[in-house]
Amino acid sequence: MSENVRKVVVIGLDSAPPNLLFDRFLDFLPNIRKLLSRSIYGPMKSCIPAITIPAWMCMATGKTPGELGLYGFRHRKGSSYNDIWIAHSLMVREKAVWDYIGEKGKKSIIVGVPPSYPPKKINGWLVSCFITPDTNCDYTYPKELKAEVEKIVGDYIFDVVFRKEERDEVKEKIWEMTEKRFELVRHLMETKDWNYVQFVEIGLDRIHHAFWKYFDENHHLHEKNSKYKDVIPDYYKLLDREIGKLLKLVDLDETAIAIVSDHGIKAMKGAFAINQWLIEEGLLKVKGGKVINRECPTRLDKVEVDWDRSVAWAWGGYYSRVFLNVKGREAKGIINPDDYGKVRDEIAEMLKNIRGPNGEKWDTKVFYPERLYPVAKGDKPDMMVYFDNLSWRAAGTVGYDSPYLRENDTGPDDAVHDEYGVFSLYLPGLEKKREITCTIYDFAPTILKLFGVKSALMGECLICARDS
Amino acid sequence: MSEDKKKKYTTVSIPTPLYEKIKKRIEDTGFTSVSDYVTYVLREVLASLEEEEKEEVFSKEEEEKVKERLRALGYLD
Repeated sequence: MSENVRKVVVIGLDSAPPNLLFDRFLDFLPNIRKLLSRSIYGPMKSCIPAITIPAWMCMATGKTPGELGLYGFRHRKGSSYNDIWIAHSLMVREKAVWDYIGEKGKKSIIVGVPPSYPPKKINGWLVSCFITPDTNCDYTYPKELKAEVEKIVGDYIFDVVFRKEERDEVKEKIWEMTEKRFELVRHLMETKDWNYVQFVEIGLDRIHHAFWKYFDENHHLHEKNSKYKDVIPDYYKLLDREIGKLLKLVDLDETAIAIVSDHGIKAMKGAFAINQWLIEEGLLKVKGGKVINRECPTRLDKVEVDWDRSVAWAWGGYYSRVFLNVKGREAKGIINPDDYGKVRDEIAEMLKNIRGPNGEKWDTKVFYPERLYPVAKGDKPDMMVYFDNLSWRAAGTVGYDSPYLRENDTGPDDAVHDEYGVFSLYLPGLEKKREITCTIYDFAPTILKLFGVKSALMGECLICARDS
Repeated sequence: MSEDKKKKYTTVSIPTPLYEKIKKRIEDTGFTSVSDYVTYVLREVLASLEEEEKEEVFSKEEEEKVKERLRALGYLD
């Protein structure tokens, strides 16, 4: 099969879920439908945690978050209580697909794959991702490419902040961002001599989060007949049109086309205020006993924590990271290192037993980093928690009457992540579709195989002999 | 060699066995000459050294800007 393939294009659609892309919306996505009819495709299980950073780099490198030492967007600095560092490209020290093939002289175009700021040198051209502070920074490799980007699309848009009430503005800006990104990618494809293209459109994730409740009739905050009810399907149509224009630039007899996502998406049932719960359980102590601030949620780093008496604290987000206050590790640690395993198991058990606001059973998962990965490098948390299998996001803020929040704590957001994203690979010569299930770790070995590169990665190559 | 090319390129010496080794290595790859390959590898090494030497990726102000955005996007609380 790989003999027919001379070029590969990877279209990254952040948070695309299999049920919408491969099924429910497929009828009105003619370009994607056509590709799928001759593709290997199916749901792709994300990494743990199923979050944009590290998921895109787990996909590109074939390595786990533990091997990368990336467990999310932020990490605490060593054993500090409040100091954090933000994930960036230089923290990715494993080789990505484009590095392997670059060594073989193949040239890549990479746009918006997180984290790719600051732009690293590659054999080809790179435009960084949405963690770029702003367009005043150098966000391309080579540096001179920036002027070309701006000549083509004017002010380049990395991302759109969606958690605000002005939904029309959010929608308009996401449309503009996506059109610009595709225009840029097509320009690069037309003007550079490339072998591999990979880009990530973050707009889909933002659209899902901002407009899910208008579209999903089962969402607890669903608004019937809202003027926004078709925003999500309309955005998929926009993506399909843009992909159609891109496909006109390639020879499908020699180009493989992948469509992938880093994780899926589903309705948010609510947010669970994890630190509030830890306070109620007596595991986290704050000066004055408790924090009440109904007007405005309070971040834990703005609260006076009594560390000398606290056992654990946590961070929120789409998943929660729980930290233990260990003697000799944290500045004011109180857990005896000999008791670490016992205390962690006890708290994990308590977390797994948390029930929903109406006493309903939750499918909460607790992961220990060092048991999850071949190695857990860097600033890892003690526990990673999926509340009700991610249906409830975690809020780190405190000051509520109850830990169960119907809405998100930091601005409107209607969706959470799902573990299953998408993988599809159109191959020249493939006569019909073949449905599969796979993991995010299978991506890199599969793409490398197309370029004839052998790797010792843990994932499996998804192309088999009968695909030729 | 044209005047232009003379200005843009210069010659460095490497041991002959290394040259031969590289020549063999780049057979059937996208590299068209040993010079191409050597340029590629040196750029890689220099870029990664420069990356390691960089002290801070974000200035204080940039870091705040990124944190604020990530907070507004729901990744941080």
